[in-house]
Amino acid sequence: MILSWLTNRRARRRPCTPADLQAGTPTVHLEGEAKAAIETGRNRVVMAGMIFALVFLVLGGRLIELMVFKSTGEPVVDRTTALLQRLEQPHVPARGAIVDRNGVLLATSLPVAALYADPRQVLSAQDAAAKLVGVLPDLDQAAVARELASGKSFVWLDRDLSPRQEYAVNALGLPGLYFHDEERRVYPEGRLAAQVLGYTDIDGHGIAGVEKYFDARLRDPALRGTPLALSLDVRIQHAVRDELAKSVSTFTAKGGAGIVLDVRTGEVLALVSLPDFDPTHASEATPDERFNRATLGVYELGSVFKTFTLAMAINSGKATMTSGQDATHPIHIDRFTISDDDAKRRWLSIPEIYMYSSNIGAAKTALDVGPAGQRAFLGKLGLLRKASIELPEVGAPLVPREWSTIATMTIGFGHGISVSPLQFTDAAAAMVDGGLLVPATLLKRMPGAAVPAERVISPATSNDIRRLMRLVVAYGTGRQAAAPGYLVGGKTGTAEKVGAHGYRRHANVASFIAAFPIIAPRYVVMIVLDEAHGTKATHGFDTAGWTAAPTAGRVITRIAPILGVPPVDENAPDIERALYVQLPPGDIPAQDRLPATDKREKKVAFN
Amino acid sequence: MYRRLGQEAFDLRIGRKLLELNWGLVVLLCLIAAVGFAMLYSVASGHLNPWASKQMARFGLGLVMMFAVAVVDVRFWLRHAYTAYVIALALLVVVAVAGTVGMGARRWIDLGPISIQPSEIMKIALLLALARYFHALAPEDVGRIRWLVVPLIMVMAPVALVLKQPDLGTAILLLLSAAIIFLLAGVRLWMFAAAILAVGGALPLAWPFMHAYQRERITTFLNPESDPLGAGYHILQSKIALGSGGLWGKGFMMGTQSHLSFLPEKQTDFIFTTLAEEFGMIGGLVLLSLYILVFAYGFAIAMRARSPFGRLLAMGFTGMFFLYVFINIAMVTGLVPVVGVPLPLVSYGGTSMMTLLFGFGLLMSVYIHRDLEIPRRPDLLEF
Repeated sequence: MILSWLTNRRARRRPCTPADLQAGTPTVHLEGEAKAAIETGRNRVVMAGMIFALVFLVLGGRLIELMVFKSTGEPVVDRTTALLQRLEQPHVPARGAIVDRNGVLLATSLPVAALYADPRQVLSAQDAAAKLVGVLPDLDQAAVARELASGKSFVWLDRDLSPRQEYAVNALGLPGLYFHDEERRVYPEGRLAAQVLGYTDIDGHGIAGVEKYFDARLRDPALRGTPLALSLDVRIQHAVRDELAKSVSTFTAKGGAGIVLDVRTGEVLALVSLPDFDPTHASEATPDERFNRATLGVYELGSVFKTFTLAMAINSGKATMTSGQDATHPIHIDRFTISDDDAKRRWLSIPEIYMYSSNIGAAKTALDVGPAGQRAFLGKLGLLRKASIELPEVGAPLVPREWSTIATMTIGFGHGISVSPLQFTDAAAAMVDGGLLVPATLLKRMPGAAVPAERVISPATSNDIRRLMRLVVAYGTGRQAAAPGYLVGGKTGTAEKVGAHGYRRHANVASFIAAFPIIAPRYVVMIVLDEAHGTKATHGFDTAGWTAAPTAGRVITRIAPILGVPPVDENAPDIERALYVQLPPGDIPAQDRLPATDKREKKVAFN
Repeated sequence: MYRRLGQEAFDLRIGRKLLELNWGLVVLLCLIAAVGFAMLYSVASGHLNPWASKQMARFGLGLVMMFAVAVVDVRFWLRHAYTAYVIALALLVVVAVAGTVGMGARRWIDLGPISIQPSEIMKIALLLALARYFHALAPEDVGRIRWLVVPLIMVMAPVALVLKQPDLGTAILLLLSAAIIFLLAGVRLWMFAAAILAVGGALPLAWPFMHAYQRERITTFLNPESDPLGAGYHILQSKIALGSGGLWGKGFMMGTQSHLSFLPEKQTDFIFTTLAEEFGMIGGLVLLSLYILVFAYGFAIAMRARSPFGRLLAMGFTGMFFLYVFINIAMVTGLVPVVGVPLPLVSYGGTSMMTLLFGFGLLMSVYIHRDLEIPRRPDLLEF
């Protein structure tokens, strides 16, 4: 029809040619033209009408289609189902969680929103800033208003918004505000295991502690869904941190370290370094707070080292529980004098050397073994290299460049060698655990898994060391560590710290190594106090027997029930027999009245 | 001076003219308006307030105005076509400079008790002005681009001003109404093809200059499910309402989508949805048929008009009316993006009602004066 109309139009236009003008009469021509114009007009009306009619047909058809053939709003239902399905799927964070040995959450990633704005779309910077500060009080209103008025196309406003805050900002209905989905690393236990866990940078990459050591594992898409299980037990960690913090505060110490180790598996149940920080806000921590005194710090630990000296001598046959050393006179060698604080000025048996913490006796015992033997023994204990632990912050021990005779003697009582508390603890565990050295680990060992162990001393030597350690807690310098019922054995150590001008008399490192139950030790506890000061209650004494030992005792009292160690009658005949140590007659004071002899153990002085 | 050329029709008394009125069309308009009253009564949950009563009053007022316009000689409208256009254009400029902002757009001029929407006046004024221009243009000149420059400017100036307000719906309506007049006037078809191609090519270029909400409407139109709770909400709820209406509907005042306020703008642009939900497909088709009858009347009047002016005016207005219906229903059924165009005579709103009834007045004036021969006079081309 349109085609015919088009040809008609052509035909009708023909009379308009000049030829027609000449040929026809003017009247006819005019009439023809007018007629043609009207015809064209009418044809166009018809054409428009047809288009309209067609469109109406489409409309009617659409109506029928929508209302009869497609009679529900399925798309919305589909969307809702899809949304619900998405919500039901567990959120797999970009970084895996860290849990303790019992599955308690130590570190996790939470979805958060970062708020940014396109200031060009913001209607009123002042109004928007005022409203934003209303729901995000931490923001600076003037600064926000300035940013929003900047005319830039992108400005960050805030980060780490919780879903509640995001909702509140959305509810303001301000145009030009947008959210960027992010994740925030959160440490639910706060400061509890700060230096162990470490922290991440703003992009979620581990930059300290376990977070750094296991960064690849935590970000591995295949593994991040499974939490990383540490050997720590938050209950033990808490008890150690709590007691250590009390002591640090009581003795106004610079800091401290506390370690609890399972001697059979090498699992670190607690590893505390004070002062600490909240890893969720790691950027606010001071370098001292971030410093891990238990693994990165290396210290001359003093008399606790005598444990190794005696074990070495007994194990090599150079000494027995009944042999002794002449401690009548101080030793003068080169420019040094080695003397005892609480000098007995007589021969001392091996148990006496340990119990009275005789430097002279320990030095002479070390000398009996000799430099080569001592070096080999300490090397076997892992004290001459960096501790192997799953942390990036591990300090290398400071050992003598030349293993001279004098070095052998001072190392015999714990001076001239600096080790980290953790590696010391691990070596000490081998001394009481029948002589097997188990590498310390921060990872939970699966029950039944084979535990790597290396024999360093014989079971008999280990048994002697247990008895010696019990002697210290029962009658010697470690009596304040006695946790009744748990058969604690231990050794104190107080070492003056090295300053710019030699050893500093009133700055010491007080330590206590404890094992319990000493008859068959399961756990060792190491307490180190950095620059503890005496108080009225300690009669001004700042030595380990007065500071570190009682701390260890309180820790054991608290953690033994958690660890399932049953209390025993310490005076039971079989226990007394097992731990019996023969001492010279009259040497042991009455068992119920023990002298508080815990003198400074440092015996090295520069002439 | 027209008296000299005029014929008997011009001398008819007003009473006689009223008898000449196309009463069938009047009845049709009343029927459509009544559908509107019923729906407004329904969406107000069975109350005349706040919408139905006001709408009735406006319709009554509009009818009186329509009769008044109808009895005025069509040559009066021819003579004052340009004046009306210039006034409307001036008002558009005024509103662009000093208008009142309402609902995010600058569309109104506030004159105390009444406010004027110049874009509505322009809808009629543009029809009149274009009809007058093409009436005076010699048929052979219509095909020459030279003679199309002036009417194109006449169209583009108001369209640009309306777009600036911004009011995309009215701009499209103006543009398409003008296109219909161009088509009726006999502009070559290839020019339309070229214009369509040009606009099609220019759309991607216009994209960066569009308002965010306009872009959103287009993307939403292409895929309303992409944002069912946001920009796609209108159209999805509308489709749900239509779907739930079914063949016969849920019954008067039983529509859930509109009564439970799932549907926004239920009394204005989306009122057709309410109707379709409550009266079903049959109800929707009945209303559509009423519109088709109105359109048929307009078509017949245009065909019977002897003067090009009358024909162009009648068919131009009929075309505009058609566009209202088409854009609105196509919008609520998801055929075209959401643009704010009301359903004529049914949607709540005074301005479009007045515009439309004024237009029907013109249509009837053309009918009453259908046999009047108005000579083509070149001086009519000049302002």
